[in-house]
Amino acid sequence: MKILNYLSLIGLLAIAATLSGCNREKLGPDGKKLPVIGVSLMNLSNEFIVMINESMEQKAGELGVRLIVSDAQRSPEKQIQQIENFIAQKVDAIILNPCELEASSPAVDKALAAGIPIVNVNSMTRSTPTAFVGSHDEESARIAMDYIATRLGGKGNVLMMQGFMGQAAQLKRDAGAREILTAQPGLTLLASQTAEWDRAKAMSLMENWIQAHGTNINAVFAQNDEMGMGALLALERAGIKDKVVVTSVDAIADALQAVKDKRLDATVFQDAKAQGATAVETAVKIIRKEPFEPEVFIPFQLITTKNAGDF
Amino acid sequence: MIARSKTLLPQLMRTWGLAIALLLIGTALSFAHPGFLTSANLLNVARQISINGILAVGVTLVLLTGGVDLSLGSVVALAGVVAASLAHPGDYPVLVPIAAGVLTGALCGGANGLMVTRGRIPSFIATLGMMTAARGLALVVSNGRPISNLSPAFTRLGGDLGPLPIPVIILAVIALATSVLLGRFRLGRHLYAVGGNTEAARASGIRVSVIGMFAYTFCGAMAGLAGIVLAARITTGQPNAGTGYELDAIAAVVIGGTSLSGGVGRISGTILGVLLVGVINNGLDLMNVSSYYQAIVKGAIIISAVWLDRNRKPS
Repeated sequence: MKILNYLSLIGLLAIAATLSGCNREKLGPDGKKLPVIGVSLMNLSNEFIVMINESMEQKAGELGVRLIVSDAQRSPEKQIQQIENFIAQKVDAIILNPCELEASSPAVDKALAAGIPIVNVNSMTRSTPTAFVGSHDEESARIAMDYIATRLGGKGNVLMMQGFMGQAAQLKRDAGAREILTAQPGLTLLASQTAEWDRAKAMSLMENWIQAHGTNINAVFAQNDEMGMGALLALERAGIKDKVVVTSVDAIADALQAVKDKRLDATVFQDAKAQGATAVETAVKIIRKEPFEPEVFIPFQLITTKNAGDF
Repeated sequence: MIARSKTLLPQLMRTWGLAIALLLIGTALSFAHPGFLTSANLLNVARQISINGILAVGVTLVLLTGGVDLSLGSVVALAGVVAASLAHPGDYPVLVPIAAGVLTGALCGGANGLMVTRGRIPSFIATLGMMTAARGLALVVSNGRPISNLSPAFTRLGGDLGPLPIPVIILAVIALATSVLLGRFRLGRHLYAVGGNTEAARASGIRVSVIGMFAYTFCGAMAGLAGIVLAARITTGQPNAGTGYELDAIAAVVIGGTSLSGGVGRISGTILGVLLVGVINNGLDLMNVSSYYQAIVKGAIIISAVWLDRNRKPS
């Protein structure tokens, strides 16, 4: 029995070793060791982060650098461990996609203390990294709410679906949306409630809102596309979508298709590809000691039926 | 058997107590908000509880045997993406993705059952492992992306049949069938016996591991079914779907009077528990109670339901 246990343990280790085989050192065409960038991503089960990852891999291939990608699965604690591992492996640079504003800051401090340049992508940390590539989250909500204001002629009742309460993206998108609401006194916020970024939860919430507010609803702003799609489905099933303007943020594939199909009114495009590619470019510039921009802001773009074909 | 008849009276009292609580809350809500007591809204509540309801019925059987299943949410996601990947327009007849989804769930549940009954791994650990593995598998199957563009025949499962939402019909059929199974069939009585006192059950000739396998496999199949209904309702298979669903389901079952230590519980109680949670969710949304307070209210209800129950039970 014991021997069997040992054997299975050895078997597992062998499998693990084979799986990690792709992490072995690779040489460039000139026979020199390729520069290595350690990447710690917030959450690889999020479509948006997957897109950032894909564009980073592509850029790394073009520029002749090697990426070691690890997934922090939303845990800032795990993220710090990953950065510690990168430091121990003496990588040439680190790209960090922070889980949280405060809790991921130690990761930045540790890399800088070890003399390894670190580039934050998509989200900020309290500590200042070597460079930052991302977008102002407030801007996305301002663009979406501004579109609602225009569509309603500055007058009407709006509902807002919040993300996971207390997360940086929720707080910033909330702040951006409220800026426009304050500037547009004709817009009334009927209710604002969380659907936790989740399509199924958003659908239930919208069904409840339709009950509570009925024909008083003129527009819905959802802080991400998943919730926007949920709200859209509920409105369509209730047969009142033609009376309500729905906008959301992120431009995921589903939402883009819905805009093209004239179901969703608008979404706001956050450029995952540009963020990922620019992050790798910046890191490579730093490694090669070339001049680089310490802060790159990739602009958001409003997508409506008019321009949906371009994306 | 003895364990069951002893608890029959408080069991009945508890079910009625819950029904009365539900009625009181319902009455209060219909005064508090004119939109609550309308047929459209009540159908909304029914529609919104159906997924949690299907999961809760399934996990009731596992809890009856004294086990627990933490993998429900992940299995919902896995079955959802498996079904969705076979449900594009023109792919296969709609029965294929449905069968594949239920089968996926049943396989996960069966694996849980094997680990618990044959492998003697505590159910908490075995299903915790399955929770992680099934989530990973869901991400692999879907490449980490939602699977959309599903055929209308498939998404119809999330829609209505006449005035009734199809998910609600599915829940009603399953709840009724399971209730009959538990009350009228030997398999049902054996489930109670195993959960009440495993050793006594084994001594009286009940094949304990077969009963356990059945409970976990059934629970997994229900999670698969819930995954299909969810994918149809939100018209996508989502690898991230269902996070935390296992706890919502277990909470509803416990509110409904099923004991976490096994042997005690009824499907009618589970359905009442699911309804209570659903009605409160709906009511708080209608009255636009802040999200922060909603979470506090829900937590308080779970604790007080079990606490009241504990105080009423003769020791």
